[in-house]
Parts: sequence; C-alpha cells; structure tokens
Amino acid sequence: MSIVLDVDPAAAAPIWRQIEDGVRRLVASGSLPPGAAVPSVRELARSLRVNPATVSKAYQLLSDAGLLVVRRGEGTFVAELESGARDAERARLLAEGATRLVAVARSMGATKAETNRAVDAAWREFTEGGEGTKDGR
Amino acid sequence: MDAEPIVRLQDLTVRYGRFTAVNRLSLEVPKGCVYALLGRNGSGKSSAVRCLLGQQKPAAGDASVFGLDSWRRRRRIMERTAVVPETPDVPPTATAEALQPFMQRVSPQWSPAAYISRLDGFGVPRRTPFRRLSKGQQRQLTLALALAGSPELLVLDDPTLGLDAVARRSLYEELVGELADRGTTVLMTTHDLAGVEGIADRVGVLAGGSLLVDEPLEALKLRWCRIRWLPSDAVPEATIGHALRHLEPHAYRPGTDHAVVRGFTAAGLDRFRDEARLEVTGVDCLPLEEIFIALCGGDNGGGAS
Repeated sequence: MSIVLDVDPAAAAPIWRQIEDGVRRLVASGSLPPGAAVPSVRELARSLRVNPATVSKAYQLLSDAGLLVVRRGEGTFVAELESGARDAERARLLAEGATRLVAVARSMGATKAETNRAVDAAWREFTEGGEGTKDGR
Repeated sequence: MDAEPIVRLQDLTVRYGRFTAVNRLSLEVPKGCVYALLGRNGSGKSSAVRCLLGQQKPAAGDASVFGLDSWRRRRRIMERTAVVPETPDVPPTATAEALQPFMQRVSPQWSPAAYISRLDGFGVPRRTPFRRLSKGQQRQLTLALALAGSPELLVLDDPTLGLDAVARRSLYEELVGELADRGTTVLMTTHDLAGVEGIADRVGVLAGGSLLVDEPLEALKLRWCRIRWLPSDAVPEATIGHALRHLEPHAYRPGTDHAVVRGFTAAGLDRFRDEARLEVTGVDCLPLEEIFIALCGGDNGGGAS
C-alpha cells in the first residue's frame, strides 16, 4: 500500500519531523484509519529517496507516541486510538496551522479582523473551487 | 558495537610535483554511515578516494579501510569493498551477461541471482555491449555489479554525473533499498547536492585539499539558516550588524531585512532579538546547495556568486 507523503529536504523542519508530521496528519484526517498498515521502512525510504535511518527515527517516535504499533514479523500499523485521542490530535494540528497563520499576519501588521476576513475568503474559495466555480484567478 | 571506523584518513597528503592536491586531510566514516564528500572540481576529492582504495600512495599520512592500510593491504580491502567509479571500468564490448562468469571467478561471494534481478529491475538489456547502453544504463549496470558482491563498504564516485532525473531517481531508490536491507557503509562524492540531501548522514566539504566542514548533515543544516525580521526605523543598521555576532553572520547587507548565519542556536537568536530589539519573523533552513555555495563560492577568487 502507498501513502501520500511528501518531504522537502530543503524545508526548515528536519526530514524525520516532516515524516512524523505527515503520518500524524494522515492519521488525524482518517486517511490512515486505525489498524491500517503503513509502508515498511524500506518501502517508504525508497519512495521518498531518503535514508532508511531517517524513516526509522520517525516511526520510532510515532510508536513511542502511541500512534503506530509494530507487530513483530507482520509490519507496522496505525494504533487503535480512542476517539478522544484522535480528536486531540486533530485539535493540535489545527492549532498549529492557526499559529502559523497568525505569525504571518502579525509579521505584516495585519489586524485580527483582516485576518479573519482572509480566512473567510480562503474558506469560500476552497468550497466553491471544489464545485468548479473558481474563476482561476 | 564496533567502534573502529570503516574508513579512516589521517593527515593524508597527496602531491603532484609541487602541487598539493590533498593537505593533511583527516576524516572517519563510521560503520553504517552514509558519508558525502563534497567539493568543487579540483578540490582533492578524487585524490582522497584513490588513496583510500589503494590506487595511489600518499605523500604523507595514512589511509585505512577496515583498519587495514590502504596501500599495502589493497587486495584484502577490495574483497569487502565495491566501487562505482566516475568513469566506468567495464570493457566497452562486454555485455551484462558476459560479465557474470567473470565476476563469479573473481569473487566467490558475488551473487549472480542478485545481479540479474537488479538488472531486470532496472530494465538493462543483458545482451547489449556496454558502450551501446545509455549513460543511465551503464551506471545501473555498474551499480548492479557492485551490489551483487554484498560489499561492506560501497564507494560511489559522483554516481549521478551525467544522468537524467529518471535515472538519478532509480539509482537513489536502489541505494536506499540497499541501505535498508544491509546497512552498508557508503562513501560518496557527488555534485548532486539536492539528491544527496535526504540520504547523507554526514557531509565533508573539501576546498583546496582541506576540509571546511565535517559534521552530521542535520547539524550543518541546523546551524546554517536565514533569519528574517520586521524592518524597523528605530533600529540602526550598525546595531543589527553588531547583534548578528551572536549567530555568526555569513552574509548580511545593511538595509535588508534578512541575514544568512552559520552559527544558529536558539539562545543566540534570543540574544540577537534582545540586543537589536527586532521582531524576528522567520528562521529558514537553507538547502544544502546554498550552504555549499556559501562555503565554497569565493574560496579561489573564481568569481562564483
């Protein structure tokens, strides 16, 4: 099975962190449901073309955090999270994104009202874009 | 645990006549490490690699592999080492198939099955003379030859040179698979900084025969970055320039709102922020390529930007 994950070696976050965050997002969004198999270290390293030790490190951190479980001889799987834990993970990721947005807004001296308007506009663009009414601007 | 490094260069010096190509170079490649040796053309990379493979006798210093002296114990070293050279050493008329019995005679642990399965995986035709293969196929064939011997050390000399994006990708995939399966120690020289970025554990940057950098890639990337701040009329440029010393500035043009630094630490950033009284808006990681250019760009007055 393949999962949609992308790493950018030039990005600010170390590659193991990008992998860790990517898997966390896929789990929180439900794209990787509880019990689903994740690719082996070898498979993921090959498809991302990164050092297997880096993938191992990310998987290790995710297992330590209880998001993944390793079953000997079978592979690595998404843990059966309680729904509370999954909600907490979603909330955490959303808060992280919001912090990033606020940082951008503040660096430009934007007000809270301005920022909220930008969020509303972006939200509309996404929903309308999904129905094919975006004018491509 | 094996504390002995797989490769060790100690005060290695190589001279050609009066020209010193490698100047007291010391480095170690620990077991399981992927070491990328970077440098501009003529920086001494190839001379260093030739010494450690026992192809060249150093003027001074030592090169050893598996704890064996490279010059005197070359044969023993090569039994456990595979090399993918910059210019292929395969006879131009030989086919992939014809190389198989030859390799089996030379090396008892060389595996024809592993060789064939890699060739097929790559899609390299087995009955085409080497010189008629594409550059990418030639490189894939040499890599298949090398890996079929299950080497403990793999030496790659600019393995992606002249390869297109697809061939580069397939080479890296194969290399990464090998690392995952066998934990092979790798020493590679390369110009493909973007490609090696996700793969190297440790990097060395050579210039003028000496190492400018020898450290884990992650550490190098953590300390080199671009700091951006909110411009403020209240802060004189000289204050910013002075406060940047906490981060070891590499490049800062007064009047701009960013600087490239080579000694980033969280504590240093706090000191910079306090002293310059600026709002820092971002700390961006630099691609290895940019770090490399910053390190080597002006080292010989060659005018690289």
